[in-house]
Amino acid sequence: MTTVRTFACLTVFLLAGCSADAAPGPVEQIIVREPGAAPVATAATAVAADGGSASALLAEGKAAFANCAACHTIEKGATNGAGPNLFGIVGKAAGAVTGFAYSDALKASGIIWTATNLDSYLADPAAKIPGTTMVAGAIAEPAKREAVITYLESATAN
Amino acid sequence: MSKNNTATDKPGKTGKWTRRAFIGAGVVAGSALVVGVAVRQGNPIDRLSPLLAKGENERLLNAWVKVDADNIVTAVIPHVEMGQGVYTALAQMLADEMDADWNKVRILEAPADMQYVSDSIARDFLAPDLDVPAIFEPTVTGGILELAQAMGLQFTGGSYSVRATGQRAMRTAGAAAREMLVAAAASEWQVPAGEITTANSMILHAGSGKSEPFSKFALAAAEQSLPAKPTLKSPENYTIMGQPKARHDIPAKVDGSAVFGIDAQVPGMKYAAVRAAPVVGATIESMDASAAKTMPGVLQILNMGDFVAVVADGYWQAQQALNSIDAKYSKSEGDSLDQDALFARYATHLDEAGDDGGDMETETGDVAKGFASAAIKVEAEYKVPFLAHATMEPMNCTAWVRDGKCDVWSGHQAPVNARQAAADAAGLPFEDVTYHNAYLGGGFGRRSESDNITMATRIAKATGYPVKMIWSREEDTAQDHYRPSATSRFRGGLDKDGKAVSWDNIHTHLFDPKDAPTVPYYNIASHKIRKVDVPTQLRFGPWRSVDHSQHGFFIESFVDEMADAAGKDGYTFRRELLAGSPRHLKVLDTAAKMSGWGSALPEKHGRGIAFVPSFGSIVAQVAEVDMSGAKPKVKKVYVAADPGFVINPDGFTAQMESAIAYGLTAALYGEITLKDGKVQQSNFHDYPMLRINEMPEVEVALINGDHKHLGGGGEPGLPPIAPAVTNAIFAATGKRIRELPLSKHSFA
Repeated sequence: MTTVRTFACLTVFLLAGCSADAAPGPVEQIIVREPGAAPVATAATAVAADGGSASALLAEGKAAFANCAACHTIEKGATNGAGPNLFGIVGKAAGAVTGFAYSDALKASGIIWTATNLDSYLADPAAKIPGTTMVAGAIAEPAKREAVITYLESATAN
Repeated sequence: MSKNNTATDKPGKTGKWTRRAFIGAGVVAGSALVVGVAVRQGNPIDRLSPLLAKGENERLLNAWVKVDADNIVTAVIPHVEMGQGVYTALAQMLADEMDADWNKVRILEAPADMQYVSDSIARDFLAPDLDVPAIFEPTVTGGILELAQAMGLQFTGGSYSVRATGQRAMRTAGAAAREMLVAAAASEWQVPAGEITTANSMILHAGSGKSEPFSKFALAAAEQSLPAKPTLKSPENYTIMGQPKARHDIPAKVDGSAVFGIDAQVPGMKYAAVRAAPVVGATIESMDASAAKTMPGVLQILNMGDFVAVVADGYWQAQQALNSIDAKYSKSEGDSLDQDALFARYATHLDEAGDDGGDMETETGDVAKGFASAAIKVEAEYKVPFLAHATMEPMNCTAWVRDGKCDVWSGHQAPVNARQAAADAAGLPFEDVTYHNAYLGGGFGRRSESDNITMATRIAKATGYPVKMIWSREEDTAQDHYRPSATSRFRGGLDKDGKAVSWDNIHTHLFDPKDAPTVPYYNIASHKIRKVDVPTQLRFGPWRSVDHSQHGFFIESFVDEMADAAGKDGYTFRRELLAGSPRHLKVLDTAAKMSGWGSALPEKHGRGIAFVPSFGSIVAQVAEVDMSGAKPKVKKVYVAADPGFVINPDGFTAQMESAIAYGLTAALYGEITLKDGKVQQSNFHDYPMLRINEMPEVEVALINGDHKHLGGGGEPGLPPIAPAVTNAIFAATGKRIRELPLSKHSFA
């Protein structure tokens, strides 16, 4: 991780006014580069052939996953949260993450998390698997589901 | 980081719940008895529901005990675990009253959320002028209020958890759940409830030979009204309380799976290192970040006004880049202050107050008359330094501010305060902030402050992505909320028989608890205790046993000096002062007897005794010190403690031992000093901890002196250790120690 990445050094000075606010913002903020350069670059390579729309979809999925991240980690080997770690979730059997106490319903579901199954589960988890403990995170919009699944697939591929 | 669901399948695992996970539990807990604030129609506390429940699922949120279909009893604990064993002790109290099978008891930490329980609900129950501790009636209402207070304040400290939350809320909840289960069984079996017994999570009827697990009647019990005043056990019927049950948090801490605040993992998270202006009140005038900008991994460099932060891909990268930044700081009025100047300032204020000035804290009898009649007068002045907390886990916090929401991860003694601090820093409403609490790698009062939460949230707000801020040990040492330094002056009068007749004390600083400088248990005809407020340079905060940490040393040193002036030994003199208080005497006598008080010791060895009641518990310690070397070697400490009733003897004994380790560290080495307004210490080389070869052997005797009035365990073991050791040094060498730490003194 010592490679200096070839990103333009962007220096921004934000001069905040003197404020009586209990928690003032920065007096000076030097942004050397934006985060996520390496992971994004990998993902971008993977979808480059699909052109711009795929990478836009990926970005949308990443943004949408912010809500999921309150319960789910995505990095390989990361600790389970209120929900299981989702690394490599696409194509995996339901209830397969070790150390996570799934509901009996989910364990017994026999589902493989294909994109189709993920799509219907994310639309309404309790309808797909009655008794699941995933009580939050349903995504009503089909396009957003597609984006999240695309993100899960690309960002957590084995 | 939440790490919840292991609690439902593995014994010995402790769940940490986010609000969302907690709701989930409510949904899946199909056939469950849940006793708590969430109630059903006809229940005497039903009017709480609209205040608490925003939606269907939230009706279950205020549960503090739950029985599920697998006959698992889950205790919800509204306190944080910082190594003191509170999860286990509180669960024991609930489980015992419920007659639960200890092997089938699970523990959850309550979620940090004021939506569930708030002060307004507490006020709804009580006249506003009635203080919570005044409630001694074991009623469900009182218990709920206690829990409401505990959760609403959500503070863990003051040695409060067992003696207040446990004694009133957890026990009452357990007893109520048991009575509801029995009532449900009586109804189904058509037998009188009085003929039904319970044990090990089973319900039994001897006459018919029927026996069923709790879970069988969980649903039916949930239909029962909450008993208005459930019957609590008397001590002879305790089966789990008073037993040395194994700690729930230990297995995870041994196998490494325990999650502390510093372990938080958030996708996309970056790391921040921070350095605050070294003098309190100063700001960053300018910074030269030219080198830092080119260093590997660096993402952002921030001048936050009062501190500099570097955000990078990794913590090490952030800290290295931070180290390269040269900052210039504004002038502060504290710039010239040093240690001697501060104590000189204390002396000036004390001199000005004289014999009658200052703020009177307590006055009994006629002190002037007492001195006039005294045959012997004793005077002494004592000093103690600033102390840092030096928690094993350095201060840290992970924050993520985005889209009008904020998530914060840390380990905090007051999670609701932490959440509020994050909301203020993010400029968001309280309800848009989610606070995720984790195990605390040491608290000692340091983690009741929220400066780390505020800083991390401000950084995360500036970056827009999640940031884990970790303080270096240097920052941790130099930017603490310190135990204040203080000076205390005493005058004492003894009559011709060597009996104490007057006591006059004036000291700097008073914080909490207010009784710390007082000695109502000592039978002295007249006493007068005053304070002067002197501004100190540094931020101060609670430190294990708070003001007792200073006054325990002051008072017990002076009592020893009076004993010496009276020509008596410290034990005999204290016995006279405690005459008429059999419970106090028993503690003192027990410690003395254990130590073989009065028996011969090797040359240059000495025994010292100290006696400090604090936080509702009475503790006496005898220290045996070897002064044959260049520095004091504390060989053995004998402890007698009476906290009323010991819920978990193993846990309580561990608290006595750890308080001695912490207090002895301070007595031997602990000192934060200032030069030019800056803290001079930075790490363990100049702020040393007690080493394992310096730890004395500790022998603890526990006394159950009053099972109705429990005392705390986390702090009361600390105040007596410093004076026990310095009194022992006096016994061995004739040298009286009036200023800590001992490392300032030469014993060659």
